[in-house]
Amino acid sequence: MKLLNVYRSAPSDDTKKLVEIVSEGRDVESFDLNVESPDYSALLDKVFAADQTICWW
Amino acid sequence: MSKKVGFLLVNKEYTLDGIRSTLGLAVENMYSYAYVMNNELPDLSDYHKENIEWVRDMEGEVYSTVDANVENHGMVKITLEEIGKQLRDLEIIIPYGILRSDKS
Amino acid sequence: MAKSLGIFVTSPQNMRHVMGITKAAKAKGSKVKVFFSWYAVHLTKCPEFPALCELADDVSICVDSYKNAGYDPADIPKGLEAKKMATQSQHGEIIEDYECYLTL
Repeated sequence: MKLLNVYRSAPSDDTKKLVEIVSEGRDVESFDLNVESPDYSALLDKVFAADQTICWW
Repeated sequence: MSKKVGFLLVNKEYTLDGIRSTLGLAVENMYSYAYVMNNELPDLSDYHKENIEWVRDMEGEVYSTVDANVENHGMVKITLEEIGKQLRDLEIIIPYGILRSDKS
Repeated sequence: MAKSLGIFVTSPQNMRHVMGITKAAKAKGSKVKVFFSWYAVHLTKCPEFPALCELADDVSICVDSYKNAGYDPADIPKGLEAKKMATQSQHGEIIEDYECYLTL
């Protein structure tokens, strides 16, 4: 199971805890949207390769 | 096979609409769950109470980490860790709206 | 082969990401559907919204959210087809009919 965690803002402690539980034992990638110029093409390559994408707040 | 979806509702300004969206997917024949985290809801209108009841009638559920929501609105008590474990079984996870840093 | 992509927008803060991801997805040959709900309907007033409607294969909004946000449902956002002033069933379509799902 390939999981992609995308962050729209800096994760809170609760978000970090949920990510930890959901990600345990899975093949995990992450992507930070909370930057000045996100590489959307690179994001999509990861989305297409993942079985599930979660866009955290 | 019906998909399983979960709405994570952390912001008081978004929670009631998130429950409406939860119902919206329940009526689309999905298993739809709402998780109200760290925000206490005020008195609910009949419309919003019915939305919660309908989610339940359609084999979904509205959970909350907040005791007042459990006592006042009949939501099912859940911890953050339990939410995390449930999310592992869902196909679609929806961190809804925007995050608010305070825990009011 | 690029996969199809559905985007559920519930935050009013993410128009740059909606545009950026849709542009990049179309450049890869993806089919893209975007659905705006709750406070995200304010994004229909962004100058980029008509361009998004041109670019994406399907753009729709929740008409109940639009009304609740204080807009007149007869005032159809520029670029949007009248029949795309729709309901939460659009969210169900994104989940059922598109291969990849994003929440913004």
